[in-house]
Formats: sequence, structure tokens, C-alpha cells
Amino acid sequence: MDSQIGAELAICRRLVGARLRGQMQYRGSFIAQIAGNFGVNFVELIAILILFSHFGAIGGWDVGEVAFLYGLSCTSFGIAHLLGSGFSSFSTLIHQGTFDRVLVRPVGTLLQVLAAEMQIRRLGEALQGVLVLGAAIGFVGIEWTVGRLVYLPIVLASAVLLYVALFAIEATVCFWTTQATEVLNAFTYGGSDMAQYPLHIYDGWLRGLLLFVVPIGFVIYLPSLYLLDKPDPLGLPGFVPFLAPVAALAFAMAAAALWRLGVRHYRSTGS
Amino acid sequence: MITARGLSKSYWVARHRRGALGAMRSLVDRSGREVRAVRDISFDVAAGEIVGYVGPNGAGKSTTIKMLTGILVPTAGEATVAGYVPWNQRKSLASKIGVVFGQRTQLWWDLPLIESLELLRFVYRVPVDRFQANLTEMRSLLDLDPFLETPVRQLSLGQRMRGDLAAAVLHEPPLLYLDEPTIGLDVVAKARVREFLARINRERGVTILLTTHDLADVEHLCRRMIIIDRGRLLYDGSVEALRQRHGSHRTLVVDLEAGATIDGFVRDGVELVRADGPRRWLRFDREAVSAASLISSVVARAPVVDVAIEEPAIEDIIRGIYEGGLRAEPAVSE
Amino acid sequence: MRLYFEVARRSFQRHLTYRVATLAGLFTNAVFGIFFSSVYRAFYQDGERGVVADFTLPEILTFVWIGQSLLMLVYLWNWWEVADSIRTGDVVSDLMKPMDFQLYWLSRDLGRASCHWLTRFVPTFAMGALLFDLAWPGTISTWLAFFISVNLAILVSFGWRFLLNLSAFWLLDVRGINTIAVLVLNFFSGLLVPIAFFPGWLRTVAEWLPFRAIVMVPVEVFLGQRTPQSALLIQAFWVVALRLLGQVVLNAAVRKLVVQGG
Repeated sequence: MDSQIGAELAICRRLVGARLRGQMQYRGSFIAQIAGNFGVNFVELIAILILFSHFGAIGGWDVGEVAFLYGLSCTSFGIAHLLGSGFSSFSTLIHQGTFDRVLVRPVGTLLQVLAAEMQIRRLGEALQGVLVLGAAIGFVGIEWTVGRLVYLPIVLASAVLLYVALFAIEATVCFWTTQATEVLNAFTYGGSDMAQYPLHIYDGWLRGLLLFVVPIGFVIYLPSLYLLDKPDPLGLPGFVPFLAPVAALAFAMAAAALWRLGVRHYRSTGS
Repeated sequence: MITARGLSKSYWVARHRRGALGAMRSLVDRSGREVRAVRDISFDVAAGEIVGYVGPNGAGKSTTIKMLTGILVPTAGEATVAGYVPWNQRKSLASKIGVVFGQRTQLWWDLPLIESLELLRFVYRVPVDRFQANLTEMRSLLDLDPFLETPVRQLSLGQRMRGDLAAAVLHEPPLLYLDEPTIGLDVVAKARVREFLARINRERGVTILLTTHDLADVEHLCRRMIIIDRGRLLYDGSVEALRQRHGSHRTLVVDLEAGATIDGFVRDGVELVRADGPRRWLRFDREAVSAASLISSVVARAPVVDVAIEEPAIEDIIRGIYEGGLRAEPAVSE
Repeated sequence: MRLYFEVARRSFQRHLTYRVATLAGLFTNAVFGIFFSSVYRAFYQDGERGVVADFTLPEILTFVWIGQSLLMLVYLWNWWEVADSIRTGDVVSDLMKPMDFQLYWLSRDLGRASCHWLTRFVPTFAMGALLFDLAWPGTISTWLAFFISVNLAILVSFGWRFLLNLSAFWLLDVRGINTIAVLVLNFFSGLLVPIAFFPGWLRTVAEWLPFRAIVMVPVEVFLGQRTPQSALLIQAFWVVALRLLGQVVLNAAVRKLVVQGG
């Protein structure tokens, strides 16, 4: 079984490498897209800075602390968007009937779809997130302990996993309908945007949604309370900031189960 | 190689509702109607056979192929393909079959053909030496060299199909499914595809099941054909027997010189079925009249600019069987 | 004139049929409207200030919801229909028809926009009004001025998008320029943050660009921050300027097409 997974990952690596070579063909547009993706986020950041120049703080968090949330969310979203490119273009795969081709190959469907596309231009998003995250860490002066040092990469990985799972769910819905993608965009883009601000500024129902339906709060906001040493205005138990990997794994497993259900549906209807 | 027993596939088509509220209701209320795409089809394909699976659009050809590849799970019935139950052992079966969908490529759109083929080596885990040997053979058989380094999106339809054929057989599958492999190709490209299929069948013993609505594919390649229409199996037997019974008529199309006429031309087994300007359509029985003698007798009567012979369309034959209810031998199971 | 009316009517009817997409889009508008509203509400609470850069909280929430309502109406993002027709070559037969090419596409866009007035603007704005405390104009004439200003915003937006699309005559792949156009529009139209919030020099830049005529100017008219006369002047200027510029670029493109055969 292990060698099976190893072999599949090797295939995956080959496929991804091939995709990269394919994209280099339109070099000018490619560079413009990386720069543009960087710029779209950059402009959002400028907007946030403009707001802070007038108001000073939001929900008791200052500009450095919000920049930390922003950097965390943008970095993980950018990486997830890059890794999950195959999911975000999945509706075309279904539309063109190319999913049949995936099913007649001796490799797992999830892996093939993931490897089918890798939009390097999305590196621009992640890059900008990393820069902001770095600047924010310098600005807020985190008190580094071993715990925080170890936990930060775990938080990032959890957030990436959660966003990839979110893209996977977006793709899975295409097995039933390809018309609802915009609704799901509201969850992916909307979710990552909302994660850029402290969770306690939102109304109760929205907070609940961001914690227990799409647990973005568990992988960005709550860990940041620990990393930035901020008090928890929501009054949750002391261990919740450490649940990021648990929440992400649980959500990813739910997404994988949903995917299998979707493939089964596809294979019984063929549409 | 293939055993199918009572294969059936029904779809549930949700009722279409008008309006935004209707769209919302459709999400909850799944009432609709059942479409029976394939109904109780049984057949066997022995190793080494080439079988043509024909029928008009929407007859259920692709649905059958999709069930036999494991893409679709049937509503009822059983099948084994190369020793596997396709829909339960899809990934194991995948290494034993090659699949070509005529209208969709399985090559990577923006990569040179050679890279797609190399990627498939990893997907199917073909040992390097076998891969090299196969690739060399395909390059000469399909004449791939002129466009081996060209990105697939820049290939012509015929070139792309040659690439797809190579891709489908590189892992040496004993069974090849082809869904409309000649659709949209020109005459030369079609001939090339047929020649290739005949050759790998002859030399490698590859079993081939192909769907098509071009009777010429079947005539060139298959000794046996299976006809389905509206999901039902109508005929399973030799091509020769079918042609004798239902497709014995061909049509001679002649363009006369301006002002010339062949009105009143009478010959046994020949019938003037249509006239349009200088063009005449003469339907003739190929058993009774040879094309050569018919042409010479027409030319003897009036100056002719051009001639062409039309084979009966597969749709016509199938319609004939369907409407006439003429059951050809060997008998059809239904 | 009859042709352009018929083109617009068909476009209107076609867009009316995209029902599921409309529902999905309204959902997205609502999500982002609520998100931005929550953020501004929290900022105003922290700042403990009633008025920031001339905006009270109800006024800034009104800005948020007008912005979300306008998004589809002015079709801010990803409109590449002309570019697509250039890429496929369909453009040649359109150019040969005895009609004004730009006016033809404008008619299509106006048909689309009239549909989006009903299916996107009104419902989104209504959601905002139900969920949050907005600032309403005191007089009918302000409403009227707002209505006119939004329609002019559609024309300005069309002029800009048409120009962008024409770039496909020279560029093989418009995705790069699309990304850059989106970021410039998001920022300088005032969609992300009101232009009044910008620091001085950035505000000057924004005021020289056409993009504020697409989002910010109608908002200012609605909130009574700008007189209808000055709005009309700004927007009309850009409508005319972009239309003329579009014609010049189109002529250059056609010349290129004729000389180089595409």
C-alpha cells in the first residue's frame, strides 16, 4: 500500500513538472500575471493601511497584529490556490467530459485532478503573503518561545490544508452542478478575506460559521491569539488555539469523503 | 475478453423548472423521468476479434463503452473484461485497456506530443525498455516523427488522433476501446487510422471494440458488428450477412453534360431515384449489376462529366432493420 | 437605430435567463457586503469617531452596499467578449457589417445592464437596506441624479472595457492585462476604500483617472457629497473621451488587420 502511494506521488511529480513547462510558453503574459496577482493583494493591503491611518485599530487589534492575520491568511491561501489549481478549474474538466479520461487511468482520481493543473502565477499571492507576514512579525515583536517557533509552521500547514480542502469541496460540487461555482467562491475568497481581520468583530452567526462550518477561525484567528499573546475575547477554553491541525485534518477528511461521494454520483449518472 | 450479460443503464433526468424559484425547487425535489440509455444488452467478444459497435447518435454506444471501461456503474447486469468486473476493479482494469475518445484527446494540451507519451509511461508504469521499443514502433507505424515535438494544441485533427492512438497502446493493453476514432477526419487520415488498427490487431493480437457511425470503418476492419438503437441490441453477427440483407443497394451519382439527358434509361436492378439539374441518382443492386457495367451503359447513352458511387449510410440500414423488423441471421438476443 | 435597439433587447433577454448564476451572484454580493460592513462597523467603534473623512457609519455602510450593488451593473471584472471575438476571428465579419462596431457592443452591454439593474442592483441594495442602517437621500431629485449618474457610470465602464478588449488585436493572451486591470479598477474606482480616505497625493492621482466615475462618483451623488452638476460634468467628460479614444484605437486595429491580414 505504501509503495502504491509512493508510486502515485512520483507520477504526480512528473505531471506537475510537465504542467510547469507548459505554462512557460507565454512568458510575457505569465510574468504579468504573477506581478498582477501580487498587485491585487498589494492593493488590498494598501486599502487596509489607509483604513488604519484613519482609525488606528480594529476590535482592539493594531495594524501590525492585523497584518499578521493578513499575512498568515494570504500565504496559506496563495499556496493552497497554487496546489489546488486543478480543483479551481475542475468545472471545465466536467464540462468538457474530460473526467472520463481520469477514470480510465490506473491512478487515483484526487491525485490526477490535483496534478492536472498547477497555476504558477498564483505564486505571486503567496509571495506577497510571506512578505507581509515577515514584516508583521518584525513589527509586532512576537515573544519567541520554542512553542511558538514550532507552532507557526504547523499553523501555516494547517491553513494550507484547510484551504486546499475548501477548493476540493468547490470542485466536488461540480459533480452535481457546475452553475453554483460563484456561491463557492464566496466561501473560498470570502473566507480568506474574513480571516484577515480578528474574528470577534463579526456577528455571532458569522463567527459560528467561520468556526464550526468552515473552520477558518481555528487555523488563523485562534492560533494567532497564542502566537501574538492576545487575550481571547470569545472566552473559549485555553487549548483551542492549538486545535489548528485537528480542525484542518477533520475538514480535509470530510472533503475527501465528499469527493468520493461525488465520484460515485458521477459514475452512476455519467453527467 | 469481454462478457456482458443483461447490461442496462438508466438515467434519472430531473424535471426542468422555469424561473429562479424553479431552479431552487429542483435542488430539493428530484422528480423527473427515467431515460433508459442501454437496455438488457448481452454479448461476448473473444480475444483477437475486431467488433464494430454501431448505431445512430444517442443509441447508447458510448454508455456501453463507459460501463465496460468502469467509468459508469450499470443499473443492472453483469460484465467481465479481461478477467475484471470493470466498475468494481476500475483501476486494475485500467492497465489492461487502452481507450480512445474520438472527440477528446487524452494528451496534455500544451505539451509536445513526446512529453505526453513519456508522462503516460509513468501513469501506466511501463518499463523503460518496453516503452522505448513501443515508441520506436509507433513512430514508424503512425509516422509520428514530423510532429513529435509539437504541442498537442497545434496538431491537426488527424495528427492528434495518431498521437492518441499511440498513447492508447504504449502500455500494451490486450484490449482497445475506440469511441468514434474517425469522426471529423479526412479520407486519408481515416484510412491511416484503419490501417493502424488492422495492423495491431493482426500483429499484436489486440482485441478491438470500436463505436462508429461510419460504415466504412466497419467494412474495412470488422468481420463482426453489433448494432444498437435506442438502447436495444438489434443485430449481432457478420458484416457480410448484414450487407447482403440490408445494404445491397448502392447509388451511382452522375453529372451529365449540360443539356444531356438519360430520361427513359431502363435496366434491371437499376432505378432512377432522384434528379437535380444535371445530376442523376441511380440506385442499383450490387448483386445484380456491377458498378462498371452500369457506368459504361450510362456513358454510352449520354456524355458524362463526373461519376461517384455512394455506399448506403449506416443510418439507413439501421433504420431499415428497425422499421422493417427484418431480423438477420444469426438471431439477435433481446 | 432599430438594429441597436434589437441587439440590446436580445442581450437583455439572454441575461434574464441566467437564473442560477444570478442567485449565486446575489449570494456572493451579500457575503462580501456583510464582510465589509462588519469591518467598517468595527473600525468606527475602535476609532470612537462619528465622522471620518466626511463619512458617518451609516454613510460608509451605504458606500459598501452601493459598491456591491454596482459591481455587476458596471461589470467591473472579466468582460472579454470583444477580445474573444478577436481571438476567434469572428470580429472580421462583425467589422464588415454596415454598423458602428463600438455602438453595436455598447447596445449589447446596455441590454445586459438593464437586466442587471433589475436582477443585481435592486436586490443587492435591498439586502443591504434590510440588514444595516443606511443613509438615505432626503429628496427625490437626489434619487433622480443618482439614477442618471449610475447610468453614466455604465457608459464610462463600457468605454474602458472596450478599450481593454481592443488590446487583443495586439496581444495573444489577455490574462496578464486582465489581472492588472482588475487591481487598478478595484483601487482607483474607490471600491475598496472611499477615495476621500486616500492620502492627499494618491487622491490627486485618483481624481485624474476615469475609474472614480464608475463607482465613487455615483456614491458621492447618493450621499449628497457631490452636486449632480459636477458629477454629470466628470462622467460626461469620460464618456466622450473614452468613446473617442476607443474609435481611434479601433481604427488603428482595423488598419493593422487590413495591412497584415490579422
